Amino acid sequence: MRTKSLIGNAAFVLLGLFLVFLPLSGYQEGIIILLCINCIAAMGVSLLTGFTGIFTLGHAAYMALGAYTTAILTVRLGVHWVPAIVAGGVVAVLVAWLIGIPTLRLTGDYYAIASIGLGEAIRLILENWQSVTRGARGFPGIDSYTTREAAVAFFVILGILLFNLINSRLGRELKASRDDRVAASLMGFHTPRSRMKALLISAFCCGISGALLGGYMNFIQPSMFDMMKSTELTAVVVFGGLGSMSGTILGSAIITLVMEYFRDISQYRMLIYGALLVVIMVVRPEGLLGNREIWTFIPGLSGKSNDRRRDK
Amino acid sequence: MDIGVHFSTLLQQIINGLSLGSVYALIAVGYSLVYSILSFSNFAHGGFLVVGGYICYGLLTMESIVVGGAVLNIPSFVNNIWIASLFALLGAGFVAVITERLAYKPIRERTSTTLYLLIASMGVSIVIENIFVIVVGGRFRALPQGTFPTTPFTFGNVTVNASDVLSLVFAVVFLGGLQFFLKKTRWGLAIRAAACDLRTAGLMGVNTSFLIGIVFFVAGLLAAVGGIFLSARYTLYPQLGGITTKAFVAAVIGGLGSLPGAVVGSLILGLAEMLTAGFISSQMRDLVVFSMLVIVLLVKPDGFFGKHISDKI
Repeated sequence: MRTKSLIGNAAFVLLGLFLVFLPLSGYQEGIIILLCINCIAAMGVSLLTGFTGIFTLGHAAYMALGAYTTAILTVRLGVHWVPAIVAGGVVAVLVAWLIGIPTLRLTGDYYAIASIGLGEAIRLILENWQSVTRGARGFPGIDSYTTREAAVAFFVILGILLFNLINSRLGRELKASRDDRVAASLMGFHTPRSRMKALLISAFCCGISGALLGGYMNFIQPSMFDMMKSTELTAVVVFGGLGSMSGTILGSAIITLVMEYFRDISQYRMLIYGALLVVIMVVRPEGLLGNREIWTFIPGLSGKSNDRRRDK
Repeated sequence: MDIGVHFSTLLQQIINGLSLGSVYALIAVGYSLVYSILSFSNFAHGGFLVVGGYICYGLLTMESIVVGGAVLNIPSFVNNIWIASLFALLGAGFVAVITERLAYKPIRERTSTTLYLLIASMGVSIVIENIFVIVVGGRFRALPQGTFPTTPFTFGNVTVNASDVLSLVFAVVFLGGLQFFLKKTRWGLAIRAAACDLRTAGLMGVNTSFLIGIVFFVAGLLAAVGGIFLSARYTLYPQLGGITTKAFVAAVIGGLGSLPGAVVGSLILGLAEMLTAGFISSQMRDLVVFSMLVIVLLVKPDGFFGKHISDKI
């Protein structure tokens, strides 16, 4: 087990190095940055939705919190961008904690509906708090601190963290409480606490992702983080396969590239995206990889997959 | 500012709120009806509303149609609100049925996980919205002048818009009709049975596939009524369906799956929104709506009329 996870970590670092040193044009570099940003947010949501079974439709709000915190810290207060990005993640975590205490008691559709409400409420607050956020006009003039190296570095660090987390004790706790919350509680797991941890980690990832997005676009606006964006995050996770972290990365990469490919016919882009969601749900509702990780598909490596439960 | 001015504002906003709430009710009832049968949040419901609105707008403004190069003049009796509304209602109903058959039925038959239906419905909602963006453009459109009477009534200090009264009256008529359909007809009985337990209703000899079709048709039809009044109140644009989020909120406040609950929740929401707009600030109204949702979910997740389901908390 230990050697396997070492190989996994090394592979992740190699992927990162490959992405950093691959010679690319400016446009392709932009796509890599966008890929990393989208993957970070999707991995966070994947931990919550895919591994803990908490279905969220409001996580774009945490991206917004990260983006605005970092923008205000760097532009208004002149803080260096690295601590500012981390601060963005921390603010998202704090708000998620405040929100999580009452709402995590809800499950199923009810948490999803509550998360829509809270996500929209956060967006509306950002939109109306003119003196701090400049409101709906948006926040311009953010430094381009999100270079390819920065985006890939955050992606690799958070990726290694999450991949190790899902196979750790906490990861098993989360999966247990997803599959049967009552049984998990009876086994002695403190399920409310582990669910809260999942929410906080996912909010942190989304906060970081939003902060990086601000540095990439140089401009943020509350409408960038609306319900549509939240839906996209969850849809990407379902598309990749619920309960598969590598599936999430794959799904996020495919959706990002497809959307990028159709940029020229932007009118039809959203139409294709919507149709894709329906077709995936009709044809392959379990997502690309189901609940298995990508290396379990490689013969010889699949020997001891401890995560086969929902294969129907 | 004396008490009298406040009081007339209050009355004014209560009437506006009831009228807005009645439109929400039309939308929320259809959404709640679908939820009561299939227990999933149909996010495409807003799409049906937009379909209804655009069919109505199209028939009211269209003068000729081009079929294979030949220009056919549309007789002017089509440009009539009654005819246009009739087609809008039927059209939205059919779109709802087609949506169910193409997107939800294959998923429904394969798995019992409602999450997949939820995501498919989001896909459908994006598709419908963007079909309208591509075909008719994203512009804001107003229904032609004179479609609805605009003469305001005045009682003392309170002015009431005729179209507000109209929307209230029509909401009552359609909700009453729905109530009659559900309580007095055989299919209504079947729908109520299916709301208790779809599978058992099927075992008792109800054609559940046809029944779900009827439910979607009714939901689409009611959404179209709401859509026409919303496009008269605001304007018509492809993203108008986003307003159904508020109808969802109303349905949750009243108790998901409960039709009286959806109506009561909608009226509460309409009143809360308009009173906030009148006395605090109109920017705050959406914030109040979503805060109400969260508070209700925390304090009483069943809503006011909800059936108790163990999954909720």
